[in-house]
Amino acid sequence: MGKRRERLEVIKDILRSIMETRNIKPTRLLYASNLSPQMFKDYVNELLSKEFIINQMNGKNKTFALTKKGVAFLEQYKAIEEFVENFGL
Amino acid sequence: MDLYSFIIGNKESIKLIYALIIIFICALIVTRSDRLFRLSEHNGIRYFRNAFLFYGLGFAFRYFLDYPLIKLGLYSQLWFLTEIFFEFFLVMGGFFLLYSLIWTRLESIDEKSSLLSGKIAIFYAMSIVIILMDFLWPGFNFMFLVQTTLFFVLSALSYSNYRKNGSRRKFPKFYFIAMLLGLFAWILNTLASFFFSWNQAVMINVYAFNLIFFLLFLYGVIRVTKT
Repeated sequence: MGKRRERLEVIKDILRSIMETRNIKPTRLLYASNLSPQMFKDYVNELLSKEFIINQMNGKNKTFALTKKGVAFLEQYKAIEEFVENFGL
Repeated sequence: MDLYSFIIGNKESIKLIYALIIIFICALIVTRSDRLFRLSEHNGIRYFRNAFLFYGLGFAFRYFLDYPLIKLGLYSQLWFLTEIFFEFFLVMGGFFLLYSLIWTRLESIDEKSSLLSGKIAIFYAMSIVIILMDFLWPGFNFMFLVQTTLFFVLSALSYSNYRKNGSRRKFPKFYFIAMLLGLFAWILNTLASFFFSWNQAVMINVYAFNLIFFLLFLYGVIRVTKT
């Protein structure tokens, strides 16, 4: 259960980094997330598949941007975290 | 007239009201937790939502399938459908509640479907076996045995969560109390079936425990999702 809370926090941190920087490059996001490259790749793939973030081309650079769903997640993060902890999920 | 006599005298109407209240509570829990699931895609929330979806369906089938069967004149041949559906959804509700607490230990990657995954299929198979056993040896004996065991495990797991998160969060304590109530309700149900010939006073207590169980969860869900 603790492990899952950390996971939620990691997701929140990644999304927050993207929101604060608007369009962030993968390398910068990797540093900001403080994860190993493999874990970072797993999280990013998950966030892409769940449509929290999207890939964008900014000139020649690939960047990440938040979707509406990603923004909504950040806005409701407190409630989600509280729900997960209160019900032991 | 005391309360017990009043309830026993109006048994059928009170059963209907009881079922409607539980279905309404389950519907509220499902819609509120579904909203959070859609925001977070968190599988724990999804399994929790499924548990109350199945509980709600179980009560709906138990108390409202009889009427169309009677209307269609099929009740004498198909009466057992009500009990089969009720038992299936109730047992699956319990399994989903258990799985919502342990899924992080069993899933390394998120399952795409919460209703059709391999692990959930095991629960479906177990539910069908329980129903078959209860059909071959008439009664709800196997369901009582499984549910009592299940709620014993749920009580232990929720106590562990209470020890871990109880100081920072308010609901783990109520979750543990709800599980104990569920456990008592199933023990009483078993005793009523085996030793008290479905004594109505005992069954009223079972209904009361069940109602408090659902109300506690509703309280927790509304409190967390009030914004």
